[in-house]
Amino acid sequence: MSQGFDKITKKGDSPRPITLEKKDLFTRIVSFSPKLLILILILPVLCGLICVLLPALSWLPALEKTTLNLQGFIDLWQTPGITQMAALSLATGLISTLLAFVIALMILAAFFNSVWLQRIEHLLSPILVIPHAAAAIAVGFLIAPSGMFARLISPWLTGWEMAPDGMFPHDPYGISIILGLTLKELPFLLLMALGALAQPELGKKLRQQYTVALNLGYYPITAFFKAVLPLLYPFLRLPILAVLAYASASVEMPLILGPNTPPTLAVSIIQWFNDVDLTLRIKASAGALLQLVLTAGLVGFWLGGEKTIKAIFSVSSVNGKRHYADAIWQKVTAILTVGVIGFMLLSLSGLVLWAFAGFWRFPAMLPEQFVLLHFQSAFTQMSTPLVNTLSIGAVSTAFAVFLTLLCLEAEQLSAKPLSHFTSFIIYLPLLVPSVAFLFGLVWLQQLANHQSEFFNVAFAHLLFVLPYVFLSLASSYRRLDSRFAHVAASLGAAPIKVFFQIKLPQLFAPILIAIALGLAISFGQYLPTLLAGGGRIATITTEAVTLANGASRRTSAVYAIMQMALPLIGFIVAWMLPKYFFRSGAR
Amino acid sequence: MRVITALPMLKRLTRYSTYAMVMSICIGISASTASPTTANINQDLSPWQQIEAQGSNQDVYFYAWGGDPQINAYLQWVADQVDDKYNINLVHVKLSDTSEAVSRVLAEKSAHNDDQGSVDLIWINGANFATMSESSLLLKQWANKLPNFALTDPDNNPTVNFDFGVPTNGMEAPWGQASLTFYYDSLSTSKPPTTLTELTTWTAQNPGRFSYPKPPDFLGMSFLKYVLVMLHQQQDAQTGKNTSAQLNLPATEENTALVLDPLWAFLDGFHPTLWRNGEQFVQTGAQMRRLVDDTELSLAFTFSAPEVPAAVQRYDLPQSIRSYAMSDGSLSNTHFVAIPYNASHPQAAQLVANFLMSPEAQAKKQTPSVWGDKSVLVQSTLSPAQQALFKTKQPHPSALPFDSVKRTVSEPHPSWVEAIQQGWQARYGVSP
Repeated sequence: MSQGFDKITKKGDSPRPITLEKKDLFTRIVSFSPKLLILILILPVLCGLICVLLPALSWLPALEKTTLNLQGFIDLWQTPGITQMAALSLATGLISTLLAFVIALMILAAFFNSVWLQRIEHLLSPILVIPHAAAAIAVGFLIAPSGMFARLISPWLTGWEMAPDGMFPHDPYGISIILGLTLKELPFLLLMALGALAQPELGKKLRQQYTVALNLGYYPITAFFKAVLPLLYPFLRLPILAVLAYASASVEMPLILGPNTPPTLAVSIIQWFNDVDLTLRIKASAGALLQLVLTAGLVGFWLGGEKTIKAIFSVSSVNGKRHYADAIWQKVTAILTVGVIGFMLLSLSGLVLWAFAGFWRFPAMLPEQFVLLHFQSAFTQMSTPLVNTLSIGAVSTAFAVFLTLLCLEAEQLSAKPLSHFTSFIIYLPLLVPSVAFLFGLVWLQQLANHQSEFFNVAFAHLLFVLPYVFLSLASSYRRLDSRFAHVAASLGAAPIKVFFQIKLPQLFAPILIAIALGLAISFGQYLPTLLAGGGRIATITTEAVTLANGASRRTSAVYAIMQMALPLIGFIVAWMLPKYFFRSGAR
Repeated sequence: MRVITALPMLKRLTRYSTYAMVMSICIGISASTASPTTANINQDLSPWQQIEAQGSNQDVYFYAWGGDPQINAYLQWVADQVDDKYNINLVHVKLSDTSEAVSRVLAEKSAHNDDQGSVDLIWINGANFATMSESSLLLKQWANKLPNFALTDPDNNPTVNFDFGVPTNGMEAPWGQASLTFYYDSLSTSKPPTTLTELTTWTAQNPGRFSYPKPPDFLGMSFLKYVLVMLHQQQDAQTGKNTSAQLNLPATEENTALVLDPLWAFLDGFHPTLWRNGEQFVQTGAQMRRLVDDTELSLAFTFSAPEVPAAVQRYDLPQSIRSYAMSDGSLSNTHFVAIPYNASHPQAAQLVANFLMSPEAQAKKQTPSVWGDKSVLVQSTLSPAQQALFKTKQPHPSALPFDSVKRTVSEPHPSWVEAIQQGWQARYGVSP
């Protein structure tokens, strides 16, 4: 039998048609991969959502509750401060997204086509790889009553010998959360915009329109808003919605920076799930559904706002007015940018100081002594979390990169771009609040194989790694000069050979960047690690969040630094390796 | 054609999956046969020797609160010891709250995982124990059969058989004892309050310099229980009635208002003098300690007295910190280790629990520089050599002076925890 198959495949091989009509095994795998991608992304999210619905309707067999009723929702409604929780979630999510978006636009507008845009990008992009928890810790160090700001002005200006009774962090209005989220999401949006501009056709078109607008006498910022933004925005929509969904349902930031009387809805949900009183899980599941509705509402609100703004400004965008106080806005943006970068640098320096600090009583500007003790004691306990972090990151990223490459190859072989549906699905895990579907997913995973927490966690990470890896690789892959592949194919190279020997080497640098990004995303995951691992898988991030609200400012600074160092090392390697490899080949 | 070209791949896949299945079946058989055979061979051994035979060479997943580096380091030492003794691989799963492990066992029960549980051993007491014991989530009648349990003198020492007044029924083995200890920054305040009445005066004079962890945090609840007990002692002394006795009974609808109303009245006046005007609370005891280091707070408390000097040694608290116990009474309780009903390695977990109760492990734990947690062993049951292990050296200036705890106050019935939590949440959970 097998000989027969060999003959047939061989026969298919020799007079290979250039049109690729006959599909070999590789082509089959490749053309199947987009379906696998969709399956991997949709199934867990949908099943997770369904599995959180049942307990929300009081169906929890473990507690001998097998009748469906609305008790969970009634309990939720009667929770003291439920409206405040929801309002806090909505307000922090919306305001931080709006701020990040507006500041990103201002920076783009003020520095479009200027060398400064690149420089700002370089300064901000390290922030992108800093996990949310580490960023929150750093911001907390800065704005606390005994933080760097207060120390800078005490006691010579304020007369404070002891830390004052301040408001930040944990202020009841969620300002600290908004601050943290805005700073964290701004670089992401900026980078997404620059990514869109890097697409050859779009970027060229937008730059030309911009130049034309300038030549017509439009001032730079006005030119950006009138000639560039309308075409650029559609590329930013999904990233913004992902930011909005994340911000309204995130756990780490509000846990570290937010108030607790009451906390945000997402934090409360986690607390109810982990409460001693097991019946609270019903209320928690109902809360997870409420979170889903809130986030969906915010997304709807944003889309509605988009339409309204479009309607309002469609007239003024063609009214021919050349400037709107452009000079002032230019200055405001410059000041804002310096402020943002300064804030980040100050937070980071505070973090580094705490990691090495001996005794450091308020209001001293610098610690009394610098010690390595905190690193030493942290490293003695860090080996397991470190190994977990690296191995989970490696497994999920390797799979994500592999699958993404196959999907992109499928796109090129079939010569038609992925459907809108697929592109949307890729964003799905980023758009659905993770508290809403992760509990269901964990329940399912326990049902399926409750022994291997490692793979459960790696799989949960994959859901969040995959979208980023895909986004990061897609543009480079689509930009590949297809003529190389055509030449190779016409010389008789099989698709698999074209893929591995022609395309992948050309993509060496982008693949390394995608790997570094995938690792960075995996390193930063808190909720998926905590839930899918059942607390048994400790990573640097789960340890950092556990320590952030506790024990020692110094130890948590060490962990936050580790959290930042790991992805940074990845990116530096990804950046250096191609230079090293191809230097000899350069002509 | 399409189908045919895919077939070799399919065949290869089937071959691999067959290998995998055969492998897994083999492993399954060896795993399922291993324990009965060893049990059969060793039938002439004592029950404990059988447990030793069955429990050696296994993994034990110990779910324990992991918020204190000192305790984590001690558990690392325990892991090394049981590795040497029994070749047990003890894994400390660090929890930020013990209830996470409770939910874990519950989730497993709901998924019908009744013998492959992920939790082998759990550090527990109070409300968590009451919940697990009510829901039948714990293994029964094993702790009282551990060889080292006799060293706690259980007949004359009821604290090892009752957890917050609830009988343990051999479901948990005593591990240590703790009492509420206060500490203050001597550069910020020279005369700390030593009674509840003095505390209210002190916070009025030093507004914003004291707080307590937000319920349901264990330490915050302990503070509220201390306040509750003290208020009733004062009230009973004035009125001649005995409402304090209600604290040892379960909370019911009838007595809840009677017992808790004085607490709410007290807190209504107390909160405005606290950190952030009592509108925001610290999340944990560790966060409270950090605020003392930040000089935001000048007075705080802990259930683990030795963490204070340890924190000073790690630079996490200033050298000006001093520890003391309240003179009107220190809330005290015992903490335990328990085994879930569905633990994968119950015998190995018992070996670890027994080691935790050994004079060697208890003496090491009581050493101030290691952990300083008070031993559950009764000295009269120990040999002179074992007693010598417990001798202490010169204490740290920030440590609690020896014999500071003059009066202990026992924990109210665990049902009060829920009642206090609900009442607190309704009154203060949402700031105005």
